[in-house]
Amino acid sequence: MSTGEPPLTAEAARRAAQAVLDVPGADDVEVLVSASATGVTRFANSQIIQNIVRKEVRAYVRVAVGDRIASSGTNQLDAEHMNDAAARALEAASATRGDADFPGFARPDRDGRAQAVGRWDDATAAASPARRAEAVNQILGASNSANAAGTYETSSFAFGVFSSTGIDCFDAYTRCATTCLVDNGESTGWGDGSSHAMGEVDVEAAARRAARKAEASKSPRSAAPGTYEVVLEPAATGTIVEYLSYAGFGAKQVLEDESFLARHTGEEVGAPSISILDDVWHPQSVGIGFDFEGVPRKRVAVIEKGRARGPVSDLRTARQMGVEATGHGSRSNELGPYAANVVLEAGDKNLEALIEGVSHGFLVTRFHYVNILDRPATLLTGMTRDGTFAVEDGVITGAVRNFRFAQNVLSALASVQGVGQDLVSLAPEFGGFGSTVAPSLHLGEFDFVSTTSH
Amino acid sequence: MNELLSAALDAATSSGASYADVRGVESRVESLGVKGPTVESLDRFDSLGFGVRVLVDGAWGYACSAELDSTEAVSIARAAVDIARASATAMTVPAELAPEPVHRDSWVGPMELDPFAVTLEDKLELLTAATAGMQVSPKIRTTRATMDLLTEKTWFMSSEGSSIDQTFVQSAAGIEAVAVGGTEVQQRSYPGSFRGHFASGGYEVVTEMDLVANAEQTGEEAVALLTARPCPATVTSVVLDGHQTMLQVHESVGHPTELDRVLGMEAAFAGTSFVGIPDLGSLRYGSELVNINSDATIPGGLGSYGYDDEGVAAQRVDLVKEGILVGFQTSRETAAKIGADRSNGTMRAEGWENFPLIRMPNINLLPGAGSFEDLLADVTEGIYMATNKSWSIDDKRLNFQFGCEIAWEIKHGRLGRMLKDPRYTGITPAFWGSCDAIAGPEEWKVWGTPNCGKGQPGQTMRVGHGTSPARFRSVSTGMTS
Repeated sequence: MSTGEPPLTAEAARRAAQAVLDVPGADDVEVLVSASATGVTRFANSQIIQNIVRKEVRAYVRVAVGDRIASSGTNQLDAEHMNDAAARALEAASATRGDADFPGFARPDRDGRAQAVGRWDDATAAASPARRAEAVNQILGASNSANAAGTYETSSFAFGVFSSTGIDCFDAYTRCATTCLVDNGESTGWGDGSSHAMGEVDVEAAARRAARKAEASKSPRSAAPGTYEVVLEPAATGTIVEYLSYAGFGAKQVLEDESFLARHTGEEVGAPSISILDDVWHPQSVGIGFDFEGVPRKRVAVIEKGRARGPVSDLRTARQMGVEATGHGSRSNELGPYAANVVLEAGDKNLEALIEGVSHGFLVTRFHYVNILDRPATLLTGMTRDGTFAVEDGVITGAVRNFRFAQNVLSALASVQGVGQDLVSLAPEFGGFGSTVAPSLHLGEFDFVSTTSH
Repeated sequence: MNELLSAALDAATSSGASYADVRGVESRVESLGVKGPTVESLDRFDSLGFGVRVLVDGAWGYACSAELDSTEAVSIARAAVDIARASATAMTVPAELAPEPVHRDSWVGPMELDPFAVTLEDKLELLTAATAGMQVSPKIRTTRATMDLLTEKTWFMSSEGSSIDQTFVQSAAGIEAVAVGGTEVQQRSYPGSFRGHFASGGYEVVTEMDLVANAEQTGEEAVALLTARPCPATVTSVVLDGHQTMLQVHESVGHPTELDRVLGMEAAFAGTSFVGIPDLGSLRYGSELVNINSDATIPGGLGSYGYDDEGVAAQRVDLVKEGILVGFQTSRETAAKIGADRSNGTMRAEGWENFPLIRMPNINLLPGAGSFEDLLADVTEGIYMATNKSWSIDDKRLNFQFGCEIAWEIKHGRLGRMLKDPRYTGITPAFWGSCDAIAGPEEWKVWGTPNCGKGQPGQTMRVGHGTSPARFRSVSTGMTS
């Protein structure tokens, strides 16, 4: 954790895998090895309340006996545990019936050889608990608040996929993320920052922004629910596109008729200014250059200039659709392929210009507890929080109490009036895999359906 | 494991920890998924590791590792102390711990039939028969059956002298049918959504569900939903089945009464609570019929245990009594903050990798009286909603909107036409205040949900909720309030 080295080297990952790649009884073997060194310092009530360092390794051994497949995993990479995992996978595979849709494991000659993205920063990987505490103290100082809460994280991750079919790939990345909520007793404000490199995360700016938002949110008035113009700041936009991705960017959802892409591919589903991709190669994305089957991650335009294109796929769904796999295997056939590095491409306006374009509407800092109401219809619900402001004739006129929204995302994207130039990289909210890159958005129509007391 | 944990404990205290506890966790999970006639997933995972939690000068540190040797144990303990010293540089109020007796004990959860002794062939045969049973129409697009099995052994030692080991076995299964007609997609599941029902216990938990016998109705209801009328947006009487009442309790009572949330410790992520410390004993949370407790001692509850992850014995405490807020779920640190004599034992961590947090054990709406039919009998016009499908609630746990898989009209005390896409919305205390009937013990069941998210890094926890169907008046259905 303090060396700047990956949490697991390529050699160690490969060595663990090689112990089982030729296990007797299997026709083919694939091993996914993952490792992480996570340092998260949480603060609340303007003091550190939790502070952890976590080192983890995992290996998932997947075996194929003909078209019978099963996997078994372990968090111990020695040969004995790896062989035990392989034996348990073999035992399980023998109990299954054949899987007619099994596409085989990835092969470099057919599926390509992955390149590492290399989103790595030595300083972030080497950050000590003392360095994180120093960052938290900077945040607390800049927030100038007796009630600030949030996190400061410096973590590193490594992934390797190795198989008897010739797959041999490894990549590692770092992540620095901070959040800050300032609560002045009457209202709250929010600021955040995320990058693969801690030097690019301005913790004091995030804290100052949270403090400004909290101050500006004082004395919120109640506003009537209804359909309004809104400007979504990047954190709010990011949440919407993450859920849109979860709702329907995967080929499995398309094949099962549960994705909007199943019925609208090729059609206009958003304004021409809207392009949404899965692109781990975007300079602000944080991720790895291959999926959990070892297939190279391709840049996939799911919505291109407002028009619905194809989903992201893994080997199984690509075979079912008769297309080339895009390298988005999630390791779960139940979840299916997943777009973990969604990018909504930037526009040409700054946030102030987007707000100036609103005649009667609201500015949303971020959303809370969003969930899917209707997957094919891309209908979501959730709450606003930490800074929601009325905008009249292009001017912010004051804070309002939080709204609940219920919104068809495609309808919202079709109503886009402007796209911000302020692309922001957002870390996964629950600490998971990938990143989202999103700008501010001016939407012509957004449905707020109820309010709350704060 | 005890030797390794002792080495870590000694290293922590000799390095300056005023308090330390160490946990070892060994777990084995098996997850099966069948889609139609095909085995979609068959995954197993074994995990083993330990974590060290320390207090130094009133500040917390936590470190953990999967390398099980005494040298690593000492190194991790010292790292935890270093982390705590870093925490102390941003500390205004030192953590203090409410007292807890020293415990030296072994606890074993219930299990009749070892789920790992049942052959995979038998498990897959059951799931495959269930998916076949749901295939009642060409409109059934997807059938899926799942089974999730866990066995976990934990060891806990503290610098106060406690030494506890516990053994858990938990089992789960469920089925789901998805029907497609034109642009309409509808799902129906049994016995609950999101991978079914989870409980502490062995394979008997699975067999008692009788998945195959319930498959046909599950498929038929999915198909029927395609042509059902939409649930109207209105204000009416609503009866919730036990599964949806579980979700209602979880989101609008379980989370708001976690004392760490009340004290602002989760403010930046999951949010806080509309409930404050001064509300204890006076806040009207619901009608006089509403009695809710936190009970980690229920045999078979998914949130049942002998001791929590800071060595506090499992307890049953009231949270809401006759509609009045009377308790919180606490830890040793938060109990001390409000001057309580003792924690009520709700600190749990996901695996060895994570710092314990206040997590719901089994949060239960205590039964009222009468049958489900009795709930309907007093409804001239209303809606009966069943099986949770979606949920969203604000950052103080006030404004919520929940959705179910299926509903039926209630007309003059009887169920009428089926309704699709039922949703309802409300404000927590007003909603519970509108509760005018809760079905009796004969309808009461402890449901289990495995995916309660909290904390950073994110942790998912297995929690239980005892509920029976309940009736609420003047509820806003549809999207708007």
